[in-house]
Amino acid sequence: MQTIGEIQKKVRNASQLRITNFGSASSSEVLNMISYSGVVEYFPEELVITVKSGTLIKEINQVLGENNQALPFFIENSDKTIGSLYSTSGSDFSDSVLGVQIINGKGDLLNFGGQVMKNVAGYDVSRLLVGSMGKLAVITQISFKVFPEKMVQERSVRLEKRSGDSPLRKQIEKRLKDVFDPYGVFV
Amino acid sequence: MSIISQLSKSLPKNIVISGDENTRPFECDGLSVYKQKPLAVVLPNELSQVKKVLEICRKNNTPIVTRGAGTGLSGGAMPIKDSVVLGLSKLTKVISINPQEQTAVVEPGVRNLAISEAADEYGLYYAPDPSSQIACTIGGNVAENAGGVHCLKYGLTVQNIESIKIMTIEGEELVFSRQDEGLGLLALMTGSEGLLGVITEITVKLTKKPEVAKLVMAGFDSVKDCANAVADIIKNGIIPAGLEMMDEFAIEASEEFARPGYPLGSKALLLCELDGSDELVSNDLETVLSLLSKASSVRVSESEEERLLLWKGRKSAFPAVGRISPDYYCMDGTIPKRHLGDVLEKINALSMHYSLRVANVFHAGDGNLHPLILYDAGVPGELEKTEEFGNEILKLCIDVGGSITGEHGVGVEKLDAMCYQYSDSELDVFHQIKAAFDPKSLLNPGKAVPSLHRCAELGNMHVHHGNLPHPELERF
Repeated sequence: MQTIGEIQKKVRNASQLRITNFGSASSSEVLNMISYSGVVEYFPEELVITVKSGTLIKEINQVLGENNQALPFFIENSDKTIGSLYSTSGSDFSDSVLGVQIINGKGDLLNFGGQVMKNVAGYDVSRLLVGSMGKLAVITQISFKVFPEKMVQERSVRLEKRSGDSPLRKQIEKRLKDVFDPYGVFV
Repeated sequence: MSIISQLSKSLPKNIVISGDENTRPFECDGLSVYKQKPLAVVLPNELSQVKKVLEICRKNNTPIVTRGAGTGLSGGAMPIKDSVVLGLSKLTKVISINPQEQTAVVEPGVRNLAISEAADEYGLYYAPDPSSQIACTIGGNVAENAGGVHCLKYGLTVQNIESIKIMTIEGEELVFSRQDEGLGLLALMTGSEGLLGVITEITVKLTKKPEVAKLVMAGFDSVKDCANAVADIIKNGIIPAGLEMMDEFAIEASEEFARPGYPLGSKALLLCELDGSDELVSNDLETVLSLLSKASSVRVSESEEERLLLWKGRKSAFPAVGRISPDYYCMDGTIPKRHLGDVLEKINALSMHYSLRVANVFHAGDGNLHPLILYDAGVPGELEKTEEFGNEILKLCIDVGGSITGEHGVGVEKLDAMCYQYSDSELDVFHQIKAAFDPKSLLNPGKAVPSLHRCAELGNMHVHHGNLPHPELERF
C-alpha cells in the first residue's frame, strides 16, 4: 500500500479487513501498513514530528537523534512500527499524540488534532483512538510532541493496563466503533 | 407539574434557584457578550443530588448545562434557553491526598489553586495553571482541558489527571483511568465541554515543587528577533517551565497596570522561566543568556518576590488591557511557532483594516496566541465588527496549520470557526460521538460542535485539507 487512494479503495471494496503492522502478509482481507512509512514533517524547534504509521520506531528515533530529541515515551522494542504502538498503547503514550490522519470504515480520509501542542477544538479523537487495536479506523499518519533526549530519560512510563470491563463501558465502546466503522469492516 | 416544582419537591429547598432575578448571576460565563437565563439553577451539595437532577431533566427532556465557577471564556457554561444549570461549585471536598503516589482525589467544585494549597504541605502542587486558577474549578478545567503558562513542560489538564468519575445522562457512574485497556475515553472526556457526561470526581496528578525557579526577562527591538530567540532556546534542548511573549502594546498596558518594570519602548518582551534542581537551572540559565545576544535588555530574577512581580505583569495583561478600553475580546488561536512573525504582521494589517487596536500576549512555547481586540460595545456595530475581526484571526491560524482554540474551548463563541477547521465528515464524527453518550442530546446541546446546516448556511467557501467543503451542494 503506497498511497492514501489505494488504501481508501481497499477499505471501500472490502467486506472484512484485518489491519496489521508487521510481516509481509497482505491480501484482499489483510491491510498491511508496514510499507506505508516515512517521516512526513519534522520541526525540531517546534518539538513536533509527523510520521506515516508504518514507520519503524528506530527510524523515527534516528531522525530525532540527529537533533538530540526523542519520542517521549518508553519503548522496549524499536523494531515495531509507530502504528502498532499507537493501536495497542494507553494514556502514557497518548500524552504525546498531537494529531492523526485516519481512514474510517467508509473509506473517508479524516484529520483530527494537528501539529500544535494545544488544540481543544472538537473532541480529542487523536487520543481516543490510541488503543483501538485497528478495529475502528486505519491510522495513516500521526503527529507527536517530542522532547530533548536528556528529559526523556527522566520520564517513566507504566505499561500495565487494567481492563475496563464494565458492561456500560463495553456498550459505549461498541457505539464508538459504529461511529467510525458503521459497516463493521475492520476485524 | 413544572420542572421547577419537580426539582424543588425532590431536592433541599435552598439548592434550587429560579425566577428572573435569582438566575441572573448565572446568565453568562466569563464571556459576557452572550447571555441567556435558564429555567432554574441547581447547586447540589451532595453527589446524590446530581443524579436526581439528571433524572428529573431526563424525564422532562430538559437540557442541562453543567457549570463550575463560570470563569470560562467561550460561553461553554452559558445557559441554554429553557435549560437547567447544574452548578457544581459547592462540591468542594478534597477527598484524599496520596503523597507517595503524588495524586489527589477531589470533588469537581474544588478550585484549581485550592488543590495546590492542599498539597503544599507535602511539597507538591497541581501543575496546570490557567490565569483564572484562583477561581476556576477542577471540574471545569477537565471539561475544557484547561492550559496555562506552564503547558510546554508540564502539559495540559489531559496529561495531569489520573482518572475521573462521570455520571452519564442515564445517571450511571463510569470510571475512566489512565490505566484502562481499550479506547482513550479519559482523553475523550477531557475537553468535551459538558456534552458527554457530568464529571463527578477527579484524581489529579501532583508534581514535585521545583527546588529553584528563575525568570529571565528580555526586551527586543523586533518581534522577529524575539521569536527567533524562542526557537533557539528550544533547539538547544531547553524546555522552559514557561515561555511567554508580549508585544509593545501589551508591554505598555501591563507596565502601566502592575508596574513590574518592563522595558518600555521594546517591540517585544520575552519571559522565560527555568525550574528544577539548582544545578540544572544554573546550566540552563547560562545557555539561555548566551542565546539572547540580540536582546536590547535582559534581567534575571534575583529573588522569589522579583520573579512573582515579573510574572504579575504578564498574568494581569487582560485586566491591564481592560483598564484602557471599555471592552476587549480575547482570542485563543494556536499556530506553529515558525509562523509567528507572519501571523502577527497580518493581525496588525487587519487591525488597521477594522480600525480596532490589538494587544498580543502569546504562550510562545506552545504556540498559543491571545490577541486582545479592544472595542467599545457602546458603539453600535462595533461588537459585530470585532467578532468579524476575531474570525479573520482564527482563519489565519487555521491557514498556517493551527487551531481556533488552544485552551478556552469552542462553547458558543467559536461555532462558526469550527466550520472552517473541520470538514463535514469530521464534524459528523463529533456529532455521532455525542450521540453515543447522550442520544437525546440533553447535555449542553448546541455547544462545541456546529450543526452541518449552520456550516452550510455560513457558506464560507473555503478549502479544507485540499477539499472544497459541502461538495454535495451546487455551486453557482
